[in-house]
Amino acid sequence: MKKLLLLLLFVVAASSGFSQQTQKILKKNYINKFYTCPLDKFLDTLATTYHLNIVFERDTLDKLDIVEHFFNESVQDALGKVCNEYGLHYWIEANGIIYILQNTDDLARLKKTNKGDNMVSGGIKPVLLPDPVEPPSHFMFTISGRVVDQGSGEPLPSASISIRNTHLTTTTRNDGNFILFNVPSDTCVVEVSNSGYQPEKIRLDAKKIKEPLVIEMFTALNTLNEVTITGKKSGVMNTDTKKVGVLELNPASLDKLPNIGEKDILRAFQLMPGVAATNESSSGAYVRGGTPDQNLVVFDGFTIYQVDHLYGFFSAFNSNAVKDVQLYKGGFSSQFGGRLSSVTEINGKDGNKNEASYGVDLSLLSVNAFAEIPVNNESTLVLAFRRSYQGPLYNKIFDQFNTSSVQGGGGPGGGGPGGPEQTTPASHFYDADLRYNYRVDKNDILTWSLYNGEDETNNSRALQIPSFLTSSVNSINITDYTKYGNLGSSVKWFKKWSKNVYSNTYITYSSFFNDRNRSTAGTIDDSNGDPVSFESGIVEKNSLNDVGVKSEWNWEMNNKMKFAYGGFLTRQGTNYNYVQNDTATLVNERESAFSGGGYAELLIDPTDKLHLQPGVRETWFGPTGKLYTEPRFSASYLLNDHFTLKAATGQFYQFMNQVTQEDILNGNRNFWLLSNNTNIPVGMARHYMGGVSYETDQFLIDVEGYYKTLSGLTEYTLRQTNAFPGSIATLTQDFYNGTGYAKGIEVLLQKKLGNYTGWISYTLGQAEDKFAVFGNNYFPADQDVRHEFKTINMYHYYRWNFSAVWLFSTGHPYTAPLTTYTISTLDGNTTTAYTVSGKNELRLPDYHRLDLSATYDLLKINGNKIGSIGISLFNVYNHTNVWYKEYQIQNNAAIATNVDYLGFTPNLTLSLRWK
Amino acid sequence: MEIKKHPIKNTLLLLIMAIVLNACKKDVTTNANTNLPVVQGYLVVGKSISVKVTMQKVLTDTAVYGTPIKGLKLNISDGSSTIQLTESSAGTYIYSDSTFLTTGKTYTLKFSYLSYAVSAQTIMPAKPVNFTTQHTGMSIDDLLGNNNPLDTLNVVSWANPDSLNHVLVFNNLDGISFPASTRFGNATTDFELNTNRAAAYPFTQRTFAYYGHYQVILCTVNQEYINLLTSNASGSTSSNLSNQPTNVVNGVGIFTAMQADTLQFLVQ
Repeated sequence: MKKLLLLLLFVVAASSGFSQQTQKILKKNYINKFYTCPLDKFLDTLATTYHLNIVFERDTLDKLDIVEHFFNESVQDALGKVCNEYGLHYWIEANGIIYILQNTDDLARLKKTNKGDNMVSGGIKPVLLPDPVEPPSHFMFTISGRVVDQGSGEPLPSASISIRNTHLTTTTRNDGNFILFNVPSDTCVVEVSNSGYQPEKIRLDAKKIKEPLVIEMFTALNTLNEVTITGKKSGVMNTDTKKVGVLELNPASLDKLPNIGEKDILRAFQLMPGVAATNESSSGAYVRGGTPDQNLVVFDGFTIYQVDHLYGFFSAFNSNAVKDVQLYKGGFSSQFGGRLSSVTEINGKDGNKNEASYGVDLSLLSVNAFAEIPVNNESTLVLAFRRSYQGPLYNKIFDQFNTSSVQGGGGPGGGGPGGPEQTTPASHFYDADLRYNYRVDKNDILTWSLYNGEDETNNSRALQIPSFLTSSVNSINITDYTKYGNLGSSVKWFKKWSKNVYSNTYITYSSFFNDRNRSTAGTIDDSNGDPVSFESGIVEKNSLNDVGVKSEWNWEMNNKMKFAYGGFLTRQGTNYNYVQNDTATLVNERESAFSGGGYAELLIDPTDKLHLQPGVRETWFGPTGKLYTEPRFSASYLLNDHFTLKAATGQFYQFMNQVTQEDILNGNRNFWLLSNNTNIPVGMARHYMGGVSYETDQFLIDVEGYYKTLSGLTEYTLRQTNAFPGSIATLTQDFYNGTGYAKGIEVLLQKKLGNYTGWISYTLGQAEDKFAVFGNNYFPADQDVRHEFKTINMYHYYRWNFSAVWLFSTGHPYTAPLTTYTISTLDGNTTTAYTVSGKNELRLPDYHRLDLSATYDLLKINGNKIGSIGISLFNVYNHTNVWYKEYQIQNNAAIATNVDYLGFTPNLTLSLRWK
Repeated sequence: MEIKKHPIKNTLLLLIMAIVLNACKKDVTTNANTNLPVVQGYLVVGKSISVKVTMQKVLTDTAVYGTPIKGLKLNISDGSSTIQLTESSAGTYIYSDSTFLTTGKTYTLKFSYLSYAVSAQTIMPAKPVNFTTQHTGMSIDDLLGNNNPLDTLNVVSWANPDSLNHVLVFNNLDGISFPASTRFGNATTDFELNTNRAAAYPFTQRTFAYYGHYQVILCTVNQEYINLLTSNASGSTSSNLSNQPTNVVNGVGIFTAMQADTLQFLVQ
């Protein structure tokens, strides 16, 4: 098997041979000589002696002299030594040519001018595409294959494959595979391009077309992407111009954006149009007027229910373990369901199958380490782990989201002797990823993926007992912690049934928990001197389990038609338990739901220009016992080389809701409840989306509009009544149901190439809800923002990357008290209430902030990037952005206090990579 | 580089216009609720009727109650007859014939204020039945005393087959308050508890913040009174605030009927 693969590699990756040959020459030959000459002469000698192609600027290098005695040193070491001495780098291209660079950005220039005196001819001619060896013998056949990274063997998704001089073109799927039908002849040339890689060309022949092609791509020098590939962008963040509402993220480039503590994939999406950027307290995606719980987050096939760390400031995904991420902003394919708004699909890395590689990222917030280990020839292992440490940056963010600026009710007489205890809670988050990839044979791959993440705040302590009580009190321990997190895992079986039919079958498990325990326990001596134990406080637990199996099939019938279909079966269980004083169970809800269904979708390309994608999804949901049908449709039409029109529509259902229990002092807590036949209806949305994009080599202008209707929305409040001394509290759960709509327009202007890249994004949006409990009119939804403007600017200067991100959005809506009134109660006390404004009638001040960052690339002498050092400044001009307002009655008057988001915060990061 | 400006410009313009035009259509809800009168009226069988009407207070007002509204004509109807209340002091309107209130009748308050026709309706619930206490008193220690804080030391009970709303009101009859514990901070000597439609309520170490003689009053109340016990002013933020439920139409506050039964209880 292995031999066969090797053979394939050798046969197919014709051009990669040249690079490897050059490397071999550099490694296997040894120099034993004394050199004293200009540098260009030294390189001339190397080229002639060892049959190398070396490209450099003779004028510059002629001025540099070397005086060096090499004692049995490899050519590679000698070259490295010399380059190091003069601050140069060498870089081997896929065609085997060695470039001597003063700066990494010189590569493009050297490539263009490598003629005449500048270039030293060696033994091998630079790679030209071989001519056909024999006349074509096969016609109109199908080729399939895989595109992988030459260094790590990691499959490359979204690489574009085309047959030269034809309209045949396709892109690789997430697993790097592709298929092309009706290839005219076996002398055609396959061209492969992918961002961050050097383009490849392969001449087909009678032999190659018999087996799947394995195309290895060489990484491009970490520099500007000068190669223009139509329809393929190389930035951190891209839109798919052929589809409506699709965003793609390249995690490897995330360090070019400002970050506060962690490279954050979900935060990065917030820089694009249609994804709200001003919710510092939620890294979940507010997409097109939707809420984070309406966004399905799928990681390697399993659903992630808690996408945040640290009260929402960071997302729960380690970018080092992630290969690629797509965000579907709406109108998405029938492959996905169960959410009203959007889908975030995250795929983990397969890992380096050639050699072990390691990396570590350090920041003021956390340490993040990963390893990619080839276990044997068939399998690879990826491990990634990060953990925060409670430094000043962590504490700053923690305090921001954990305590309000106003301290509790107060008033005279508050607090007992000694006053309240001053304590600092211990708090941290961590997450870990494990991914094991096992290639059973050439048609079967098994992947096991495991994700675990948790946030914990612990303020448990033993109470200091005052000396005058030590005789009667033995011990009092206060338990005070909040823990929440996820555990998810999947086993995926990829099976290629034939050249054009393959399937992915998953067994998935995902669990979420959110526990809070605030209780006091201890023992005291009674009047007889016998110890008596006591316990009091609240224990609140919410958990969710999701076990499922699903199978997704693809049948690529021909170049014009693909058929995707599949089925799924899930059991979800939720448990919500609220116990007070160990005895009184205030809430105990345990629910479970079986659901199952299937989907089918046709991907039709009747002409080169038109793409149609009709689909349908059927879901049977146990608790309601009903079948839900979701028709979907999307289409795109290429008007000409620059313009694309696109549209999508569909119906979407959601069978569970994330509800927020507000807790100002301890941070809001989220948990999940399943839809049922009574108070939580099944949510339903309809999407209508359309857009046009205009794209040139340099620029992209993308305009999309959307309109969504929503019904079966649920708002939940949990109220604690009887907050009187000594009483047993009662919890009142109120479920309010309503409808809503969201509409908007998004404009993106992106500059894709050059030293300066970046984009400007503008979103005009409106999201309104109507809940009978708040009246008969629509009111602005909590996430409603009218205007949002974002500008992301990145400047590349040799080994430096600078970025500036400025965000502006009009204020979020809020509700305010207008007047107060006081009523006497039966016990002779009084109660004061507010008369409040219309629901969300007022607006908080506009949100804006500027983030800056600078990153310096650390390069090896051979031009490979080994890490970076970066500084990020968050909210540079320290603008006070209001999160919400708090109201309190003090001395009969109402006092409003702003609770603000984070002010100016700097961060340093260091990333290192080893192979 | 050549950019064909016109087609994109036109499309953009069209789309933007379409959305903007649509977005401008907005329901404007003017909030005149701040002018509504505050009504406080408790109808108790065997007692004279007193209804207080005040204005709402601006947020910075430190007075306990708002400015009384004088010169109103308040009527209460029991379905067959209507009485008119007289203003005894500024903003306080009374009717002293206690025979007007009887169990099971629906009482409707009506008056006009500014341009508002203010009204409220309530039903007189039945008197509590079989209100008893297990012990006539109980002894408590301070926090670190001999009792487990959760032990039930006494139970009061009553008949409640229909799970009606009841509240327990505790009036400390001693003029001077003796705190049982410093734990309760600024707890008041008199307090009330919602019994959550139960037929009994357990007293624990923590039920009382002060020692002394108590008058324990069990009241059958309507839901509007239960709603009053939770104020929208406690723990409220701009993201969770909503209006306090009220049974007063074109007004805020409460107009509710109730009946009571009383026990004596000693906490030592």
